[in-house]
Amino acid sequence: MTDRPDTAAPELVFDDGIPGFPGLHRFVLVDVVPDGAFQELRSVEDPNVSMIVCVPWLFFPDYAPALGDEDRAELGIERPTEAVVFCPVTLDEDRDRVYVNLFGPFVVNAATRRGRQLVLTDSGYPLRAPLELRPA
Amino acid sequence: MLVLTRRPGEAIVIGNEIVVTIVEARSGQVRVGIDAPRHIAVHRHEVYEQVRRENLAAIADARDAAGLLRDRAPSGDEDRSS
Repeated sequence: MTDRPDTAAPELVFDDGIPGFPGLHRFVLVDVVPDGAFQELRSVEDPNVSMIVCVPWLFFPDYAPALGDEDRAELGIERPTEAVVFCPVTLDEDRDRVYVNLFGPFVVNAATRRGRQLVLTDSGYPLRAPLELRPA
Repeated sequence: MLVLTRRPGEAIVIGNEIVVTIVEARSGQVRVGIDAPRHIAVHRHEVYEQVRRENLAAIADARDAAGLLRDRAPSGDEDRSS
């Protein structure tokens, strides 16, 4: 992941940073697979920081993260169609199983490209929802 | 760490915009009210810590996950029909 961010990829700005990396604010999304279901969220400011993220509804069609009033106001999102949502992806220890973090999704205003990571306390959504991979 | 003693009803001001009020203290529990600007996210520490740890894991796993998904990413449609 030493290649430069695609200059065509617009920057996303996380004014509050993301938990674990409070000093980093500017990120780009780079496709990992051709259909865009999985992307790499890459820091513009620190090229060593990137994570794979996933569009949750492709695999969890009933997923409905609640955007609180404060998040809504802060991000300037009034309708669900104005939001872009993606979730962190992790692996198990054997590097053979993929999990999607439905508890801490990123929400970005599609127009302003400003976002934040939600913490869905009391939502019941898991930190690690398993995804079935295609057979090797 | 700054340690202050407060009674219920008393408060602490952090910077110019954050006020932490002790609402109630009894039976080993303290209820705290927080007034903060909306751009300041307020979470229970243990919950925030879970999200922070998962972010660190996601970053540590990024390279391996990208490789695995390039080969074996499920398609949303297949998953939905299963």
